[in-house]
Amino acid sequence: MKIIEVKSLTKIYNGKNKVIAINNISFDVEKGEIIGLLGPNGAGKTTTIKCIATLIIPDSGEILIKGKNTFKNPSFALKNISAVLEGNRNIYWRLSVRNNLEFFAGLQGLNPKKIKNKIDELIDYFNLREKEKAQARFLSRGMQQKLAVACAFVRDTEILLLDEPTLGLDVETTHELKELIKKKAKKEGKTLILSSHNMKLVEDICERVIIINRGKIVAIDSIRNLKEFFGYKAFSFEIEGKIKEETKKEFIDKFELVKFKEDEYVTEIEIELKSAEYLYDVIDMMKKSNFKLKRIEEKTPDFEEIYLKIVKNG
Amino acid sequence: MGDLILFKTVFKKEFVMMKNYLFNTLFSMISIYMIFVFMFFGIKFISPSTVKFGNTIEGLIIGYFIWLFSIFGYSDMSWGIMEEARAGTLEQLSMTPFGLHRVLIYRIISTFVLTFLYTVPMLFLMMITTGKFLHIDLITVLPLILFTVLPSFGLGFIMSGLGLIFKRLQASFQILQFIFIVFLLAPSDKIFAFKFLPFSLGVRLISQNMIHKIKIFEMNSLDLIILVSVALFYFFVGFYIFKICERIAKKKGVLGHY
Repeated sequence: MKIIEVKSLTKIYNGKNKVIAINNISFDVEKGEIIGLLGPNGAGKTTTIKCIATLIIPDSGEILIKGKNTFKNPSFALKNISAVLEGNRNIYWRLSVRNNLEFFAGLQGLNPKKIKNKIDELIDYFNLREKEKAQARFLSRGMQQKLAVACAFVRDTEILLLDEPTLGLDVETTHELKELIKKKAKKEGKTLILSSHNMKLVEDICERVIIINRGKIVAIDSIRNLKEFFGYKAFSFEIEGKIKEETKKEFIDKFELVKFKEDEYVTEIEIELKSAEYLYDVIDMMKKSNFKLKRIEEKTPDFEEIYLKIVKNG
Repeated sequence: MGDLILFKTVFKKEFVMMKNYLFNTLFSMISIYMIFVFMFFGIKFISPSTVKFGNTIEGLIIGYFIWLFSIFGYSDMSWGIMEEARAGTLEQLSMTPFGLHRVLIYRIISTFVLTFLYTVPMLFLMMITTGKFLHIDLITVLPLILFTVLPSFGLGFIMSGLGLIFKRLQASFQILQFIFIVFLLAPSDKIFAFKFLPFSLGVRLISQNMIHKIKIFEMNSLDLIILVSVALFYFFVGFYIFKICERIAKKKGVLGHY
């Protein structure tokens, strides 16, 4: 069942310079699906999320939540949507952890007294019990962001929009928050749209991704399919010393260089090959140029490299 | 039921915030009191014959009291909403299924009630300082205060609405607070047109009660009709302009900008 339908959405910002933030994008999200929204800075991810959350009015197109147009029925849409926008800028810094959770529950029309157990459960789940009575301004950034996510969960909506929920967090806290979001969203059957620059986070949580570049969708598929479709064979060569400029040029002309790094002692070349058979050509060329080969390694591109390739081609 | 929960939620938040900002509040109350003391003694000792505000010290107390009440309401709407935009919580408020306007209206009611907690002790302090004790008839004075200060919320709506679009309006916010004094001092008893300004007629009617002990049902009914109409006019015009500005901010994508 489609819970979100985005149809031909376009948003143009008419400032000093006209910016086409999103250009005629369409996609659907199934109920219970966890979907990643990826793209470089300024690609249109936040604009898309804020349009779904009714915070930005698009120039054309429409968004349906459970079949109803969000801008014609904002109240209905917002009964089903909660969001964390830009990390820790969503909570009241002068309110305690509990007060924040109670406030956001009340904002959704939920009686904080009646859902006391749920609030307690969220405090424990997000490991905030120790700081339950502390004002949010005294929490670490990681805790503030956990609180912001908890405040989205307390609203008990079917759809959660998370825009950069791990922005500015260290590796450990990012991992912790990722696990908390993933488990809770799966357990409660939430529909989740997650925007992030953290590919590992997206790869671990999302079943499907939408990649946006310059306001247009350049790929929309499952991570597995994207890996299969855009995957490639790459080999990394470590050569002693520097190589001549004309040889380097010859390599660039003949093969697709993924990486080229050199210093006084060693040159590292990573080449993308359509199949392993082309390896003979590379070796022949290296032999002809008198390269002193130190190491060869087969590389399987990770999702981040595939993402970069899609964005580059898009 | 949902509205009652929303109102309780907003009221509790305003109350807790007030408690958490207690030091700031006490400091500003002391400053405000000191300004009153300087004004009172300055007028009394330097030029005793030029005491204005209805030509009485009582008038000065009432004028100052209403000015305080109105700037609390006005600041909460203008500065308060800009602060929410800066903190990123305005977007969260906008995402309530009840609509941002409902949250703001409940916030106004909460602010009105909580402002009493600040201003009533200040009123007594001013009476003790001056030695002039005013007649307090809650049945008359409460509705008069409500309709006198209601335009300040409307003006607050306008300024915060403009602030959503243009940002950096803090200087104008402050200037308008002092323009309120001009409205308060406008002689609406002498020039009929001044009755349509915010605060002016209301202060005169409150003075009639607190100084001359005239009850609400003994007052000129045309004045009361004008007071209520003017209050509702400024409030709803302000509210409507805010709604327009909110829509423009959503169109420009700047609702959460700061």
